[in-house]
Amino acid sequence: MASTAAVPFWRSAGMTYITYSNICANLVRNCLKEPYKSEAISREKVHFSVSKWVDGKPQKPTIRSDTPEV
Amino acid sequence: MAMAALRRESRRFVPFVSSPNPINAFRSTIAPTEEQVGLGVRSISTQVVRNRMKSVKNIQKITKAMKMVAASKLRAIQVRAENSRGLWQPFTALLGDTPSVNVKKNVIVTISSDKGLCGGINSTSVKISRALHKLNSGPDTECKYVILGEKGKAQLIRDSKKDIELIMTELQKNFLNYTQVSVVADDILKNVEFDALRIVFNKFASVVSFLPTTATVLSPEIVERESEAGGKIGDLDSYEIEGGETKSEVLQNLAEFQFSCVMFNAVLENACSEQGARMSAMDSSSRNAGDMLDRLTLTYNRTRQASITTELIEIISGASALEG
Repeated sequence: MASTAAVPFWRSAGMTYITYSNICANLVRNCLKEPYKSEAISREKVHFSVSKWVDGKPQKPTIRSDTPEV
Repeated sequence: MAMAALRRESRRFVPFVSSPNPINAFRSTIAPTEEQVGLGVRSISTQVVRNRMKSVKNIQKITKAMKMVAASKLRAIQVRAENSRGLWQPFTALLGDTPSVNVKKNVIVTISSDKGLCGGINSTSVKISRALHKLNSGPDTECKYVILGEKGKAQLIRDSKKDIELIMTELQKNFLNYTQVSVVADDILKNVEFDALRIVFNKFASVVSFLPTTATVLSPEIVERESEAGGKIGDLDSYEIEGGETKSEVLQNLAEFQFSCVMFNAVLENACSEQGARMSAMDSSSRNAGDMLDRLTLTYNRTRQASITTELIEIISGASALEG
């Protein structure tokens, strides 16, 4: 029943199904017990850089990363 | 008698050693030119050939090491790529794969590698993307690129600057995982307007062969249109859907999730093909280095032999002149 009510909420918050499912997956990962928990969380690291192009010119690239730059 | 034989030998060697015309292609670069040798110097320095041999040997070592690294990386990623095929197969069974769909806004997602030295996999995916671009751009349709990876970017920037919408790189800094790819997919969904996404990647078949593949993901509206038109997507009605969502909501969720799953598989398959291609490329380049080394050794020994022979002739002819 919860999902029925939730759909319009996360959709209207500007999330896509992917973001929504990622948040859910992260919640499930946090429910694991300790040795597995940190292992599962450390496995899912995000790092890449995006640059948008407008009229054949690259904009400044932004780095999407959840690990701080060393 | 012996002297005559030697003289004949030397005559056979002389043009070989000092000929300015290259006998093998690589001789032209290593055979010292006449200015280098200088007048009055009869023997040729073997320094150049020796240096060249050393550098070729080093290159061979490097390529061999790269091959080993690629082989071990390949083994790890191959299992993941093959497991990830289970993610998109249900979607294709349910929604179908319609590469021939005709829509207004096409977006080609070209997947390539960040690093080079991996044979032709990047140029094949770029070539397929260009062909798709040509096929799908018309007077009333538009076609844009989204590029993943440094190498595809370098190739596509040259002729299709205007059509590039988004470029993503540094994907493989950490180990590829679903969360990362889904964030990539999310960024593409949010930043690019599309009716159909065509993902171009190299599907891993074996270490030496990979098939350039396209996967098509339609936007929810197009999926709905297609499902009303009947066909495979129309089968969705026969499924019982939990919760109170409308069909269009379900389709939208499904299309988004399909895109991230297909992307995940595509990125993994491409990474796997990249390692396979790098392995075979490095294998053949270390073999080539070996061949080159053989030829260089041959030249080196011949040159050395020739200078020894010349010296011998000099000594013998000097001695015989004294005797005579």
